[in-house]
Amino acid sequence: MVGNVEFELERDAFAEAIAWTAKGLPARPVVPVTAGVVLEVTDGAMIVSGFDFEVLNRIEVPVTDKAAGRVLVSGRLLAEIARALPPKDVRVVVEGNRLVVRCGSVRFNLPLLHIEDYPAVPVLPATSGKVRGDVFATAVAQVTAAASRDETLPMLTGVRMEIGPEALILAATDRYRLAERHIPWTPTGTVPSTSLIVPAKTLADVAKSLGSASEVVLSMGDADDAGFLGFSAGGRQTLTRLLDGEFVKFASLWPTAVTTTVEVQVSEFVAALKRVALVAQRFAPVRLAFSEDTVQLSAEAEDESSAEEELEVGVTGEPLTIGFNAGYLLDGLAAVTTPRATLSFTEPSKPTVITPVTGLGADDPDDARDGSYRYLVMSMRLRG
Amino acid sequence: MGRLTAHLPMALRLLLVKADGSVSVHTDGGAYKPLNWMSPPCTVVEQPGRWTVTNRAGEQLIIEIDEVVHDSRHELGVDPGLVKDGVEAHLQALLAEHTATLGPGFTLIRREYPTAIGPVDLLCRDAEGVIVAVEIKRRGEIDGVEQLTRYLNLLNRDPQLAPVRGVFAAQQIKPQAHTLATDRGIRCVTVDYDELRGTESLELRLF
Repeated sequence: MVGNVEFELERDAFAEAIAWTAKGLPARPVVPVTAGVVLEVTDGAMIVSGFDFEVLNRIEVPVTDKAAGRVLVSGRLLAEIARALPPKDVRVVVEGNRLVVRCGSVRFNLPLLHIEDYPAVPVLPATSGKVRGDVFATAVAQVTAAASRDETLPMLTGVRMEIGPEALILAATDRYRLAERHIPWTPTGTVPSTSLIVPAKTLADVAKSLGSASEVVLSMGDADDAGFLGFSAGGRQTLTRLLDGEFVKFASLWPTAVTTTVEVQVSEFVAALKRVALVAQRFAPVRLAFSEDTVQLSAEAEDESSAEEELEVGVTGEPLTIGFNAGYLLDGLAAVTTPRATLSFTEPSKPTVITPVTGLGADDPDDARDGSYRYLVMSMRLRG
Repeated sequence: MGRLTAHLPMALRLLLVKADGSVSVHTDGGAYKPLNWMSPPCTVVEQPGRWTVTNRAGEQLIIEIDEVVHDSRHELGVDPGLVKDGVEAHLQALLAEHTATLGPGFTLIRREYPTAIGPVDLLCRDAEGVIVAVEIKRRGEIDGVEQLTRYLNLLNRDPQLAPVRGVFAAQQIKPQAHTLATDRGIRCVTVDYDELRGTESLELRLF
């Protein structure tokens, strides 16, 4: 159907809506029509959406509507046009088989694409609950850092989301590290306890685009429309296809006995680690030797360059020397939002747990909020 | 004096004359690429202070020799050929030894099981006693899946063997190949070559 779409709105709102939708469009579309954006006008609103069979992005903006309808145009071209428009009201109207965009004395004509060929898009399932936008954004950033980027094991490129009565538990792992974080949430009515695997990249994009809202609404739907998870906030909606399969049973990976715990000042420890890691080659470990109240960080390369640094830290328990892939350790520390963190060790060949130290600044709500973050990182063997 | 007339100034050079008749002029750099060369078959005419190398097309490489710093001759004998590490043959041998990598309870029937359209890399029996044809690749791509599909079609026509299942084993399996294989009921196994070979990696995994 080629409708007689006609509406008016302010330039910035138009450009922002088109840019947000166009950003999610596939670079190499499977079907050419999915490189387009759908412009739909109904009841005082313009709805812009893009779909690539995996992710649906949809944004609703109030407009002065003159004629309702639904058309498809090239997403990239419309986004470029929208960005280049002068700061005046935009008037959009369909004339024949073209979309005419007028703004001040500027006029653009875009050919309409065949909307009949556009794939059927998933419908946003019923609302399941709400999370705080900032908490959601932080938690997603903390967890997605540990997700795998290797497409050969699709399940590990996802974030497992466990739906509990009061909290969502996010977890991701790439076999070398595991990040976990609880987010308090408010379900709408009774939501059955279940778990989903959400593609990590999409989840990270969603957190960036919706995280600034005060609340993000989650829509899981029921058995009939399972397979998609929806996020919405401030007129924006993202629906993502979920990953199949069963996630790794990771609960048993958390160590139960700890022999050494070390409390570090995060920024200071990160800076030292980054310095020493400069000489470590890509797959070479950084050595951490913990004794009474210090840690000696060192690394060496095959060409005999080496680095050393000593730092005062709070060590409780046995002295210990352990190796790490510096990048994996840094990812975990970077996600800690409190000034201090605890590293809990068992033995050099066992993984280490990084947790934030909360309760230092009793007035800082961040402490309590991020207290549930924990990061498990596997050590590396040290030569000799 | 060849396809291109080029001139190299007088300098200290390494001249190689190989048993096949080829002549090359090397400088003190560049791993395998000579500055100038003449491929075999060609003839070398030695005159005092001057070599003239001529190939069949009549192209010439003329070398002026002012001083000989070092001159030696070595017989290299028969070339045993380049053996590549990590090739499919080695993977096949390793997997034949460690059939459990392919699935629990797998036993080997034979390597290189002959069929009319070529040998199947491994023929195994799974824990239930069902015959499994295994195709081994370094990089698992769509053509490997197609190859295995052809073997499976053929093997499944043999009432003595049928039903035959398929396993596609590779160090890396492309997502498209994985999807195609799964769609055809072929199981994919990603093989860690270093682990099979027993090479100790510094990297440890959580699971």
